[in-house]
Amino acid sequence: MHAPIQNSEVAALHESPVLPQIEFSSVTKTYGKVTAVRDLSMTVSRGEFLTILGPSGSGKTTTLMLLAGFEAPTAGDILIAGRSVAAVPSYRRDQGIVFQSYALFPHLTVTRNLEFPLEMRGINTAERTTRVRRMLERVHLSDLGGRMPSQLSGGQQQRVALARALIADPPFLLLDEPLGALDRNLREQMQIEMKSLHKEFGITTVCVTHDQEEALTLSDRIVVMRAGRIEQTDSPEALYDRPATRFVAKFLGEANIFENHNFKIESEAEQPSGTVAMIRPERICIVATDAGKRGDGDLRQFVTGIVDDMIYAGPLRKYHVRVGSSVFIVREHVAARQPIFRPGDGVCLNWLRSDIRFVAT
Amino acid sequence: MKTFQKLGQMPIGLTVPALALLLVIFGIPIIHLFLNSINAPAFSATNYYKFFGQPANVRVLFQTIEVSVVATAICLIVGYPTAYLIVTASRSLRITLIALVIIPYLTSGLARTYAWIVILGDRGVINNVLVHLGVIHSPLQLIYNTMAVYIGMVHIMLPLMILPLVSAMMGIDRSLMAAARSMGARPLTAFWRVFFPLSLPGVRSGSLLVFVFCLGFYITPAALGGLRDAMLSTFIAGQVASSFDIPRIATSAFILLAIAVAVLSMLGLDLAGAQGRAPTPARKSWVARLPIFGLLKRYFSEFLSPYRAKLWTTQLYQAGDNSSLSNIVGPLFVLLVMVYLLSPGLIVIIMSFSAGAFLEFPPSGLSLQWYRSFFGDPSWNGAAWTSIQIGVAVAILSTIVGTLAAYGLNRTHPRLRGLLTMAILTPVTIPVIVVGIATYLGLVNLGLIGSTTGIVLAQSLGAIGIVVVIVSATLANFDRTLEQAAKSMRASPLQTFMRVTLPLIRPGVIGGAVFAFLHSFDELVITSLVSGYSIRTLPLKMWENIRNQIDPTIAAVSALLMLVPVLWLIVLYLTWWRSRPRDHHSLRELAT
Repeated sequence: MHAPIQNSEVAALHESPVLPQIEFSSVTKTYGKVTAVRDLSMTVSRGEFLTILGPSGSGKTTTLMLLAGFEAPTAGDILIAGRSVAAVPSYRRDQGIVFQSYALFPHLTVTRNLEFPLEMRGINTAERTTRVRRMLERVHLSDLGGRMPSQLSGGQQQRVALARALIADPPFLLLDEPLGALDRNLREQMQIEMKSLHKEFGITTVCVTHDQEEALTLSDRIVVMRAGRIEQTDSPEALYDRPATRFVAKFLGEANIFENHNFKIESEAEQPSGTVAMIRPERICIVATDAGKRGDGDLRQFVTGIVDDMIYAGPLRKYHVRVGSSVFIVREHVAARQPIFRPGDGVCLNWLRSDIRFVAT
Repeated sequence: MKTFQKLGQMPIGLTVPALALLLVIFGIPIIHLFLNSINAPAFSATNYYKFFGQPANVRVLFQTIEVSVVATAICLIVGYPTAYLIVTASRSLRITLIALVIIPYLTSGLARTYAWIVILGDRGVINNVLVHLGVIHSPLQLIYNTMAVYIGMVHIMLPLMILPLVSAMMGIDRSLMAAARSMGARPLTAFWRVFFPLSLPGVRSGSLLVFVFCLGFYITPAALGGLRDAMLSTFIAGQVASSFDIPRIATSAFILLAIAVAVLSMLGLDLAGAQGRAPTPARKSWVARLPIFGLLKRYFSEFLSPYRAKLWTTQLYQAGDNSSLSNIVGPLFVLLVMVYLLSPGLIVIIMSFSAGAFLEFPPSGLSLQWYRSFFGDPSWNGAAWTSIQIGVAVAILSTIVGTLAAYGLNRTHPRLRGLLTMAILTPVTIPVIVVGIATYLGLVNLGLIGSTTGIVLAQSLGAIGIVVVIVSATLANFDRTLEQAAKSMRASPLQTFMRVTLPLIRPGVIGGAVFAFLHSFDELVITSLVSGYSIRTLPLKMWENIRNQIDPTIAAVSALLMLVPVLWLIVLYLTWWRSRPRDHHSLRELAT
């Protein structure tokens, strides 16, 4: 029998500066014949905000369930502060979780919801009351302690869920699609709020989402998953700017892949084998055919095509331009005195050669 | 640690008490019965040859099937339009109509059968009125014939048909009818092509319920039918009373069981088969077997749901043209059905206040003499007290065992869940006389015949099934991430159950307890077999009275029994209403 990890031990261990706070070492999880997570290894360092990003079925939720202790790995090990927790059930671990549905207890008031984790840790009533009050102030919900969860708006519920996850000062926080249930405006506001809360608490956070915008805004690092494996791990900027694979390029933002094109990309000479060339739509300039080549001719590449479609999207204008047999997506910020092209117009596309990326197929 | 955790991950262990009880009291005896019927260990079909060798037996068998088929068909023919009209009615009317169907459903079958005796008897309501009016001179023979059996059976079974139908029809997305009509389907076409096919699950589960209940029907045919109207269950009960010839009884019971199983597997194949493959709809299918509970819950919630603009959808629903004819025919039909369902009860209630020495309708004077007789006569109030005690014991035992089992089943692999659920529900899904015979044997083995403990155990079999159905339905709607959330906050599994799961499924648990009590309070067939004539429950006392005509006190008892469901409806309404914090608070907010 293992002795359950004591709070103090965990606390002592995650003081250790050398060890990563969370470590997955070759973790595999299978359900029957289905392998949800395959040979996954990753680390999360102290204070980091790490996002696991992937489409549904990529194994990201399983990864979170494994980390939370709701599932046990089929193979491999999960270390928290250097100590294996693969066999420790979730209720003996120390963590805060914000569930996608928030999982606020519908039969308890906001205050009782916040007290729950403290009560389970055997903290006395006086201390609980103080901590709940302080936490409610922190998330700007001081007046709502007596309400039932069903009487709160979506954003308020989200904040209560976050407060409940943080109130017992857990060493790390897990977020499952934390903003998925909110509408767009609220989501942006909550993103900012969560970012500042993360900064304030400095708590190690692992977030699982399929929303690339959420991932890009919040994270220090993003792990992109696909079919149970890690596709790429990097900072948001690096991930967007230098995607390693075609999947990452397509999943994070839009990408023009040079495929079946009947013109020569002039930088093809440098192209590593097993890769395709890719360029982001906002890196392409669109000008009239007769505008002529500009000065930096040797740095830029020019192709001509015909506008298939123009989509107006507020601050952006999006063109579909047919060049030979392939269609390019071009994104342009709407500005004054800009020529507007209509379907059927001939246009000239050009881009900096240095903006071409090569991604693994 | 590991082994402990493994055990914790096997919630199937929670079903052990329920299964053990089932096995000892029902499972082993029924295997024993089967072996007896085939003359084990010699193994021969002699008993079955003997059964079919006697023309009288074959006649009873065919009569049982015929009566069940006809009664089911009548229920469907009457029930489908009724259900449709209920569903299409305006919201407040619908709530009233459903309540009017549920009240007889929850009322003691004995009391309702008694009502028909009072109505159809030689000096019953109909004959009295006709004689008074001078239409006839001597009473008509309305009772103790096949007609009376059908009238009584359909009366008892009709709610069992209407409620699943209403449940299924209310689940049909109303916009589908609108969609069909927007695509140019005429109202009647939209009904046949869209609504009707979607209501078929309700037709199936309603017919199944009614047919299987009819097969094992005992009280009503015996009380209202003539000597030639014996059903197989009456026949078996007679054999039990006259000679306890186990192989013979076992053979009859297994023939009855075989018909029930054949029909169940023909119509309800997915009960077991599809469960493994498609867990979600399959779970629905067995809950739908006793869909009254889901409906009840939905019904109560509808009371409170803020008024939604349903009017237009209601209008879209109306399949027929809006001619004046259909405007009259529909309401008239529903009115007739409701009169048929409710008038016997009302008549008995009115008669129970009669002042004469005999029961008469309309009563010549009012008095409480029969109520005084009920409360003053120890043989009556003693029986009632016994029934209440047994009912409470059954409710407690079956609620605990059933809730554990339902929780365990909810956490079990779907395939296994289907199988175990089927097993636990056997006592409420096969003809009750078969359960009675098996239970009798089981209690004989335990030496509990004629003891209160024996009766409690026997009645708990069915009650556990009922609790499992209701609690499972509640658990199916329970959000399990709440448990994960509790565990992520260091609540142990037990703390999680007590602090989070139990408070949230409490309405289901209370509902289960109420229905378990009701089941016990109304149980006659099994109880009469295992009571050994030493314990008198209220239904036993009533049954004795009905058969031996007739202490009019029974009218007062029946009238009181008709108040019970109203009382329960109020209890359930309060618990379920209280369990809806959202509405509760929005109401409070409105008030402040």
